[in-house]
Amino acid sequence: MRRRDFLGATVAGAAALAAPAVHGQASAARVLRIVPQANLTSLDPIWTTATITRTHAYLVYDTLVGMDSSFQPRPQMAEGWTIEDDGKVYTFTLREGLRFHNGEAVTARDVVASIKRWWARDGFGQEIAKRHASLVALDDRRLRLTLQKPFALTLKALGKANASPCFVMPESVANTDPHTQITSAIGSGPYRFVREEWNPGSRVVYARFEGYVPRQEPTDWTAGAKLANAERMEWHIIPDPATAGAALQSGEVDFWEIPLHDLLPVLRRNRNIEVVVRDPIGSVGMLRFNHLVPPFDNPALRRALMLAVDQENYLRAVVGDDPGMYATSYSFWSRGSPMHTEEGSEPLRVKSLERARAALREAGYAGQRVVQLHASDFPTLAALSQVTADLLRRLEINLEFVATDWGTVVQRRASREPIERGGWNIFHTTWSGPDWFDPASTLAMRANGTGAWFGWPTSERMEALREQWFEAPNQAEQKRIATEIQREAFRVVPHIPLGHFLSPSAHRRNVTGVIKSPIVLFYNMGKSA
Amino acid sequence: MSPDTAVAAAPAAVEVFAEEPRRGRVRTFLRRHPSIVLGGAILALMVAIAILAPYLWTTDPQALAPRLRVRPPSAEFWFGTDMLGRDIYSRVLYGTRVSLIVGFSVALLASLAGLAIGLISGFIRLADGIIMRVMDGLMSIPPILLAIALMAATRGSVENVIIAITIAEIPRVSRLVRGVVLSLREQPYVEAAIAAGTTTPRIIIRHILPNTLAPLTVQATYICASAMITEAILSFIGAGTPPIIPSWGNIMAEGRALWQVAPYIVFFPAVFLSLTVLSVNLLGDGLRDALDPRMAKRV
Amino acid sequence: MLAYVVRRVLATIPVMLVVAFVVFSMLMLAPGDPAAVIAGDQATPQDVERIRQALGLDRPFFVQFADFLWRLVHLDLGTSIFTNLPVTHMIAQRIEPTLALMVLTIVLAVSVAVPLGVVAAWKAGSWIDRGVMLFAVFGFSVPVFVVGYLLAYFVALEWELLPVQGYTPLSQGFLPFLENLILPAIALGTVYIALIARITRATMLEVLAQDYIRTARAKGLGTRPILFLHALKNAAVPISTVVGIGIALLIGGAVVTESVFAIPGLGRLTVDAILRRDYPVIQGVVLLFSFVYVLINLLIDLLYTLFDPRIRY
Repeated sequence: MRRRDFLGATVAGAAALAAPAVHGQASAARVLRIVPQANLTSLDPIWTTATITRTHAYLVYDTLVGMDSSFQPRPQMAEGWTIEDDGKVYTFTLREGLRFHNGEAVTARDVVASIKRWWARDGFGQEIAKRHASLVALDDRRLRLTLQKPFALTLKALGKANASPCFVMPESVANTDPHTQITSAIGSGPYRFVREEWNPGSRVVYARFEGYVPRQEPTDWTAGAKLANAERMEWHIIPDPATAGAALQSGEVDFWEIPLHDLLPVLRRNRNIEVVVRDPIGSVGMLRFNHLVPPFDNPALRRALMLAVDQENYLRAVVGDDPGMYATSYSFWSRGSPMHTEEGSEPLRVKSLERARAALREAGYAGQRVVQLHASDFPTLAALSQVTADLLRRLEINLEFVATDWGTVVQRRASREPIERGGWNIFHTTWSGPDWFDPASTLAMRANGTGAWFGWPTSERMEALREQWFEAPNQAEQKRIATEIQREAFRVVPHIPLGHFLSPSAHRRNVTGVIKSPIVLFYNMGKSA
Repeated sequence: MSPDTAVAAAPAAVEVFAEEPRRGRVRTFLRRHPSIVLGGAILALMVAIAILAPYLWTTDPQALAPRLRVRPPSAEFWFGTDMLGRDIYSRVLYGTRVSLIVGFSVALLASLAGLAIGLISGFIRLADGIIMRVMDGLMSIPPILLAIALMAATRGSVENVIIAITIAEIPRVSRLVRGVVLSLREQPYVEAAIAAGTTTPRIIIRHILPNTLAPLTVQATYICASAMITEAILSFIGAGTPPIIPSWGNIMAEGRALWQVAPYIVFFPAVFLSLTVLSVNLLGDGLRDALDPRMAKRV
Repeated sequence: MLAYVVRRVLATIPVMLVVAFVVFSMLMLAPGDPAAVIAGDQATPQDVERIRQALGLDRPFFVQFADFLWRLVHLDLGTSIFTNLPVTHMIAQRIEPTLALMVLTIVLAVSVAVPLGVVAAWKAGSWIDRGVMLFAVFGFSVPVFVVGYLLAYFVALEWELLPVQGYTPLSQGFLPFLENLILPAIALGTVYIALIARITRATMLEVLAQDYIRTARAKGLGTRPILFLHALKNAAVPISTVVGIGIALLIGGAVVTESVFAIPGLGRLTVDAILRRDYPVIQGVVLLFSFVYVLINLLIDLLYTLFDPRIRY
């Protein structure tokens, strides 16, 4: 018995003072304290592709179309839709009772403005944008998208859940220039962003939005009901894994999104903690080349380096000894995707320093300097990057290892200059599985030169195949084309895939409603007392 | 982190240690100053480790072995392996080099720069005002913070770490030297020398330098100790030497996440760092006692 | 006296100007382009140039410095590159934990270190004295994060006596507030205790050798009044000087301690800002810390007159 309770019981009679104590406990049970994977630095999910901002956005915003666990588009804010004129005219009707956090009703005009801002930035969105003839609000609750020619993936794009989903914002916010960051966080999602309590780098707070009307269907990823089971959600940003682990063990926080793999055994041993694999597909690692500057503008050199790569070394550097936590994947498409195939992957199975050395010589490598960008502040990226550095050293490549933070890497990777003027040759990053799902979602497989993602590979054949893929009539044909793209990719080597690894979450046993999905979704989670 | 900023900076060490201990007295000297013996011995051991690192049964401190990561100390890996499977024993031994290089370089550079600035300031009245204002300004930025800020403005490398810490330490040395110069100038024999037309360089060599050397040496040892700790702190918070370099701060920074499951990753570099800093501090204390009996009585 | 106070206060102005200049030129020297960071993931060179002009980064150095000072006078420290929030706002959010940690550490350190130093001086040469001196040398040699992790590991995790991490605002009760801060304060205070104990011992040794102490002793005054009334009062000036100068150590240590114990204070803000190269935040924090440091030492200087009537200006 706590001393406070004891004093209460003796001095003033139990009944009178027990009430506030019970109330105090109940409210603690309604507050969910989460250690998210990173600090929330931007509130604009369209401006940045940072996962943490997307996680924030899925609490605060809603989407017109959701995606269920079989990767199919389902209505979310939309009550439903009709497709007419051979798939050229889409008419969406909004559900009744949708409200923004400022109390205003969600109208079709808000949705139209939000879609337009989204498709100015998002790659998949751009595919609709370039095919569209008009997008207009018919009245408060209906909007119509008219295409010049049918595009079978329209709904998939609107419902996409990987980098830059199409979140709906108030029209006034959505009219912001797509290249300017918004600082507002007013959406129509199940949680309200509590700005007064936002302490960047330390605390982010959300409160249940009482005006949210969930769908009737059961929760299924971003489709179905979105329930605000916890009255209040606090993100505790703890960059030091040791501290975060200790906080979870002592019950100071309830949920840790991505514990360090090495701490999992300790957490599993704790009776009050459950370790769950929330995302069964996991993440994929990538070694990305810059295709514009020497020496890796030479495809033969990129192919040569691939011969030395042993995915298992990378994966174990990240996750450790538990074989259940990683899987090699000799593919440019992620595991779990219907497009996944290991055809053409022979070079990635060679794993030989000798062969790589010979190939490097043959390709004419003569000691040119190689600049590798390294982010020290993300343990996963740091591990991948150091394995490559070690590999390059063993291959006697003249390496300049530039160690900074992720923010600087993000900034510097945008430079197309030669290395003498701040350019780069190699950096590493990871993606969530759905980001490598198919040609529509895989930003890194664009090969349209300077229009492509950082590294700017060029392959007319890959681009032509991609166009064909969008027009493919069925999945079998899609798969055939995706396999062709992969064969070409093993020749061009836009990047080297480093395999899959799982990033389990850990939480106190009384946490309920954890959604298992490759997308990080914090709604539905609650706490039993 | 010099413990004696206040005391050492005061121009106390003026009437000097004219009688150097004769060779025969070395033994008595050492017996009278055990902290010099202890500190010197540990430091000598560390220097030996740094030089001989490749021959002390070490392997390549940068070689990765992800399949052998986070192994506890054993016959094969004396200090265990880290998160990338590197041999901690080899890394710690090679880390001695980084720590000592940073410590010694900063001590030397800060002393030389501080000496130069202090002399200019003490002899050229015109410059004194400006220099001391600048030094006051630099001194009012806490040294670690100044070093951190300087590192944020550059790229992580051993040279930059040395420069950043040196800049943060210079003001204190300059003040010390200036204090000595100003108080010596008041001394009758220096005044007489000036009156007799002795050139400034001569006065510096004859009178100033010999009297500055003792307090400067003591100060330099403290700067050395402080620089080694600052380097570790910089690396620890990710603003120091690049992670590929096996410095003690880096090893601890990488191991701190595993503090609970693999304490040995942090333990060994922590012990080496503490021991090395301790040895330099002991040496400093001993030197101060030996070189400046008046100060010794005080602290 | 008043003239001295005014002169001393005015003398801090050029000092702060130098600090401002150093901090400002740091941003100018820094690699990378703040405009490029602000423009984000997929910005075109035109976007970056537009932002550079909007921020005034294309103007001459001294124009920008004058502008920086002008904004400084109006308590405008700029806007964080990463959160888009005013730096003053971010500092205001983080100041309480750091202030609390500092004050607690100073109180703790002074109340432990001064008696230690006094006793060591009184019993000079005894095992107590040696123990204190040994502790002092160790205190200087073991880095603050090693002490921090040792405490966190044993006291918080193994013995479960205190919380491992975090901060509870004072408004939520004094006890929880103290529970969260006691370990960080000990970790941070170790060096500081070593420093103050040493100086106290040294000054006391000197004071105790003075004639009037001998006279007091001869008069038959008890140990305690001699030590704590007569001697300590006369040792107060050097001790308080070191307490003031040592705050620089605390500020440096707080940066590390707050990371170890996940305290959402200015130190954590600094570390995060450095990892992200968020220069306006780094500038703001360095300026603030330096200002506080100068201010405290100014106050201590002025307080001398109270401590020691012999000092006249």
